[in-house]
Amino acid sequence: MVMNKTLLEVRGLMVGFPTPDGLVRASDTVDLEIYSRETLGLIGETGSGKTVLGMAILRLLQPNTIIKGEIRYRGRDLLSLPEDEMRKIRGREIGVVLQNSGTSLNPVYTVGDQIAEAVTLHQGLKGTEAWHRAVELLDAVRIADPARMAGEYPHQFSGGMRERALIAMALACNPSFLIADEPTKGLDAVTKREVIDLFGEVNRDRSVLFITHDIEAARNLATRVAVMYAGEIVELGGTGEVLSDPAHPYTQGLLASLPERGMRPIPGSAPSLITPPPGCRFSPRCGCAGEGCRTEHPGLVEVRPGHYARCMLYDRG
Amino acid sequence: MSRKTVLAASLGIVLAYCVVALLAPVIAPYDPHAITGAPLSPPDREHPLGTNDLAQDIFSRLIWGTRATLLLGFLGATIAVVLGTAVGIISGYYGGTVDEAVMRVIDVAMTIPIFPLLLILTMFFRPGIYVTAVLMGLLGSFQGVRVIRSQVLSLAVADFVTGTRALGARDGYIMGRHILPNILPLAGVKFVFSAQHFMLIGIGLGFLGIGDPSVVDWGQMINRASQNGAIILGLWWWLIPPGLAVTLISLALAWLGYACEDEINPRLRLLRV
Amino acid sequence: MKGVYIIKRLLTSLAAFCISVTIMFILLRLMPGDYITMYLETIYRYAPPDVVEAFNHVYGFDRPILEQYLLYLIDAFQGNWGYSLIYKVPVLAVIGEKLVWTMVILVPATALAILAGIGIGAYSGWKRGSRTDITLLNGMIFIRAIPSYWLALMILIIFGYYLNLFPLGGYVDTSALTTGIDPFDVANHAVLPILTLFLFSVTGTYYLMRNSMLMTAGEDYITTARAKGLDELTILRKHAIKNAMLPMVTMITLECAGMITGSIFVETIFSWPGLGMLTYKALVFRDLPLLQGILLIDTLLIIVANIAADLIYPLIDPRVQVGEDV
Repeated sequence: MVMNKTLLEVRGLMVGFPTPDGLVRASDTVDLEIYSRETLGLIGETGSGKTVLGMAILRLLQPNTIIKGEIRYRGRDLLSLPEDEMRKIRGREIGVVLQNSGTSLNPVYTVGDQIAEAVTLHQGLKGTEAWHRAVELLDAVRIADPARMAGEYPHQFSGGMRERALIAMALACNPSFLIADEPTKGLDAVTKREVIDLFGEVNRDRSVLFITHDIEAARNLATRVAVMYAGEIVELGGTGEVLSDPAHPYTQGLLASLPERGMRPIPGSAPSLITPPPGCRFSPRCGCAGEGCRTEHPGLVEVRPGHYARCMLYDRG
Repeated sequence: MSRKTVLAASLGIVLAYCVVALLAPVIAPYDPHAITGAPLSPPDREHPLGTNDLAQDIFSRLIWGTRATLLLGFLGATIAVVLGTAVGIISGYYGGTVDEAVMRVIDVAMTIPIFPLLLILTMFFRPGIYVTAVLMGLLGSFQGVRVIRSQVLSLAVADFVTGTRALGARDGYIMGRHILPNILPLAGVKFVFSAQHFMLIGIGLGFLGIGDPSVVDWGQMINRASQNGAIILGLWWWLIPPGLAVTLISLALAWLGYACEDEINPRLRLLRV
Repeated sequence: MKGVYIIKRLLTSLAAFCISVTIMFILLRLMPGDYITMYLETIYRYAPPDVVEAFNHVYGFDRPILEQYLLYLIDAFQGNWGYSLIYKVPVLAVIGEKLVWTMVILVPATALAILAGIGIGAYSGWKRGSRTDITLLNGMIFIRAIPSYWLALMILIIFGYYLNLFPLGGYVDTSALTTGIDPFDVANHAVLPILTLFLFSVTGTYYLMRNSMLMTAGEDYITTARAKGLDELTILRKHAIKNAMLPMVTMITLECAGMITGSIFVETIFSWPGLGMLTYKALVFRDLPLLQGILLIDTLLIIVANIAADLIYPLIDPRVQVGEDV
């Protein structure tokens, strides 16, 4: 087995949003590692904290957000970098495909302009050179007639095309690490397939943090998956293993709720992130919760080699 | 300066003006139209703000002038907001041809210059202060219709409205009982700003010399003052107080309006929280 | 759909114009005494009844009212707006001349106000909550609450009288009688009026731009721009302002149209011989034909402003075609 270098290391990450009702802990002491050339799928429901995690890496959250912990990229702690250093990393070393392609592109500039902007900024290409590169990129993401489409505006692109354009923009400077936030959301089944295929192909040589709630997409693209619940990672391991033989009751519930597996929803609703449930955060909804689950907070323990879960079933002591 | 402080202060000022207006006969030392001694005399113990060219006591006139100002503002605003809200709700709720028709009328009405029209009508008919206020309210109601209507449009298709209709409620009931309360905050803010606006315009009419001459009006006072050479002769006690009085109430209402707007629309957050 | 839009605009404009004319027609008919007597008396001081009757016949005042109305309407469309009672010349001529002078102060003031309002408002909204923002905002609210006539008066008194920096009014010194109109002299006289007009309208533009920027700053594509590694100033300049300006277009064009009427106070106080001053005079002397002309000119300006807004908007926002409801 090849020993993969750790590209990104998250240690004890806590992200909190101050609100009039209290501090919302969107992310609570998260530890994570992403190796070079691997795609890590980050699965969870809405509000589980997965998008926040992705945004925190590039420090794209609101100014009054409280962030604690470390995020080491190639050894450097991103959270303690000065802003101008951070800017050099954004787009150049780490790219991001934001959620919601409909609103993530500036409506008053052409798609080509917006992609060219990225290469002009980081690679010093000017004018027509930058434009050509933008057209090349659109071609690489399989947009038909790229030369013409580069001159069109975002509202003239279809949902799937916009998604591709966002991918092209994120990859413009060939970053080593890509964060993709729900790239298949809102797309129809056929387009979804195409985007997933494309995604796998263009990202063969880089690391990807693939944030999604689409389990099938994760299955297709990710080598490892992490499952998030209520701001914590509750399961982590190889994709095949986790998705076919999940260790954590939440993951089991997630899979059971898929249409093809019977569509049985998990009872209850997501907990408050201001005052999370004591003990195991999933215990109020867990079918096999015991007394200990409600009082003790389980740690992330290795259930099988390379497969971790945060559950009192496995955490003895 | 917190929002609550601003709210309290501005409300206090407005109330103070109201009190002064109500108690004018009691507070003012002289009858505002009466001749009381030498004309154009500077402030002294008998006349805290001196006298004007007709030897009337300026201080008394200042106090009495509060009535005209508040009347113009509040009466005008009431008419404008009541009319604008009513039409806006009806238009937004019923939609369809009613809405189309109303919007066409509003479009045309807003293409006509309202202020010059007001000037001409006021000059021509020389209405009393009450009619002036009503006229301002009428002409000023058009603008509010659009704003109220767009709010109502989104409410009219809200689930709770559909649900109420499914229960068999009549339109009038729905509009009055369900839509109106949701519109009130918006209408309230509109009322405050309209009051400010109409006060300024109303006083402005007096300043231009087309106000109601039988009423003591700060605008007319400023007008008379500058016409009698107050600037050159340095008659600051005649010229300055009425202007300050208008500015103060205008400021108070503006602060009040913005504070209320903050409450409704936290995204704007104008005043420091 | 372009065709529908054009028709709608045309009809609305037409209706507005006709209503303005009609209102004036009614007022003229309602005047005690009649137009001819009034007019003759201002020239000859005395109008013998048979002369009045002859004139009435010539000018068609003895014809049925509907016919008079139609002729009146046609006249209005042709620019035949009657004769000013004060100046004894065609109304349109007087208005045309005075309008130029209003433009001398209005155009610089409005242009500056728009530029400053957009720039300062954008910065203020972008840095929402900062010391600069709060100070600017409160300052603007303060200025806006001051009535325009009071503002003008105060500026005149402080800068013109006490500090003696600028003339107290008029547009030229009396020396112009001998040496002709000197542009520098005019400019000197124009400073205070322009300042006043500027202060008054910049507050409006600022407030609108700030609000617009508040909305824009939270949009997703701003995060995208940041994710690309762009610095804050570039994002503000390139991405934010252009989008924040979109809702402003309609407002700005309407403000431009409204400024003409708003200048009445400023011109009156500074004795600036423009359209505002003309309006004041017309009000004082009850010169109805002149007032009608002013009303119609204003209506036309609003019509033009509306059309301009409709045409400019698609130029800035690629999502909108001409005639679409924004």
